[in-house]
Amino acid sequence: MNPRYLLAGLLLIGSACQKDAGTPTPGTGTGGSLARFTIANDFLYVVKADGLTAYNLANPNDPQKTQDTPLNFGVETIFPYRNNLFIGTQTGMYIFGLANPAQPQQLSFFQHVQRCDPVVAQGNFAYVTLRGGSGCRFGGPSTLDIIDISNLSQPRVLRTYPMQSPHGLGVDGELLFVTEGDQGLKVMDISNPLDAKLIKFFTDVRAFDVIPLRNTLLVTAKNGLFQYRYREAVTAPDGTVTPPAIALISKLPIE
Amino acid sequence: MFSISSFCLRGLVCLSLLSLTMCRWERFVPEPGANSPTYRPVYISMASLQTLALTGPQPLKNPGKIYVKDTYLFINEVGMGFHIVDNTDPANPRKLAFVGIPGNTDMAIKGSTLYANNGPDLLVYSIANLTNISLTKRLPNVLPLPNQFPDATNVRFECPDPRRGYIVRWEAAPVNNPACFR
Repeated sequence: MNPRYLLAGLLLIGSACQKDAGTPTPGTGTGGSLARFTIANDFLYVVKADGLTAYNLANPNDPQKTQDTPLNFGVETIFPYRNNLFIGTQTGMYIFGLANPAQPQQLSFFQHVQRCDPVVAQGNFAYVTLRGGSGCRFGGPSTLDIIDISNLSQPRVLRTYPMQSPHGLGVDGELLFVTEGDQGLKVMDISNPLDAKLIKFFTDVRAFDVIPLRNTLLVTAKNGLFQYRYREAVTAPDGTVTPPAIALISKLPIE
Repeated sequence: MFSISSFCLRGLVCLSLLSLTMCRWERFVPEPGANSPTYRPVYISMASLQTLALTGPQPLKNPGKIYVKDTYLFINEVGMGFHIVDNTDPANPRKLAFVGIPGNTDMAIKGSTLYANNGPDLLVYSIANLTNISLTKRLPNVLPLPNQFPDATNVRFECPDPRRGYIVRWEAAPVNNPACFR
C-alpha cells in the first residue's frame, strides 16, 4: 500500500474524530487559584467575603443551596483538591472535607498563614502565597509557604520562600508557577519542597492568574493573555537528566 | 466580634463617624506612606448592572481570571464579562465571542452549563452552543458586597459609596486625600 494513502487515511480518521466545534463535553472545567467558584462532583461551591455556600447541581440549570457556612471575614479564594476544598482568607487557610458534598465539613483552620492569597495543593503539600505590605502580617514580607498537609487536620509549614508580589499560583508535578504581578512570572522546581529552586523568571509579563494544564501554561497579565509550553525534567535510562523547560508559544496582546 | 474591617464595610458610616480618621480596611494594617499608590472605584448604575449582552469578539483590555473547558478558554474581562476563546491551537488562540456581564469576575463550568457572577448575583447559562449561549437562571445575592477595595495592597483609595452605584473594578488614579487604605 502506498504510504501516502495510508497517511491521508489516518489524517481523515483524525479529523473525523474531532468533536464538533462549540459543543462542550460532559465534566468539569479547570479554574485557577484565584477563583471564588469551584465545582466538585455535582456541587458548586462559592466563597463570599464571609462564608462558603454549597449548591447541588443535580439539575444543573437550577442550583439548590444545601449549606451556608460562615467563615472569618476576608475569604478570597477556593481550590478543590482530591476530596477537599482549600479556602484562602486574609486570616488563614481553611481545609474542608467533602465526605458529604452537600455539607462540607471543616477539617482545619490554619492560622499561621495570614493574608493568604491563595492556595493550591498537590500530593501531601499545599502551596500558599502571601502578599506582603499589608494584612495581618504588619506589612511583613511576601512569601511562598509550602505546607505539609499529610495530616489534613494538622497542617504545618515546611518551608517559607521569599517572593516579591505574588498573586496567583499553579502547580503541576515538579513545577510551581507563581504570578508576581508587575514583577513577572516565576517558574520553580519543587521536586524537593525543602529546596525549591527558581528556574525561570519572565519579567516581560505583568502576570495575574495562572493555570498549568497538560503542559500548556495559561497566564493573564496586564499586557495580555500569554501561553507557554512547559515540561518537567526527564531522566533517561542511562541517568542523563534533561532539565525542565518552558517557552512562550503565543500572546494575545491588550487592544 | 467587633473588627474594624467589618465596621468599615459600612463605608459611609465609617466616613461620617470617623471623618478625621483614616478608614482601615483590614485589621492591623499599617497606614501606607504618603506617596503610596492611590485607587478609585469605577461605578456603574444599579440599573445597568443587569444589562447583559452577547456579542462578537471584543478587545482584550483588562484580563482577569481564567477558566478552561475542553479546548476553550473563558477569560474574564474584569467587571465587564468574559471572552470565549477557541484554544484548539494554543499557538493561535481565536476569540469567538464576548459575553457582556457587568460586575463579572468569576466563572465555572460543568458539562454544558456555565455559572458566572453578575456582580452579587449568580447567572446560569446553557453553553450547549458556544456561539449562542442562553441565560437559564438568576440567583440573587450569592456574592454580596464584592469589590469593596482594590486588589493592590499597601495603597490608599477613595472609599466606596453605595449611593453611586455598583463597583465593577478599581483603577489606579490620582485621588485627593483618599480616606481608605489597606
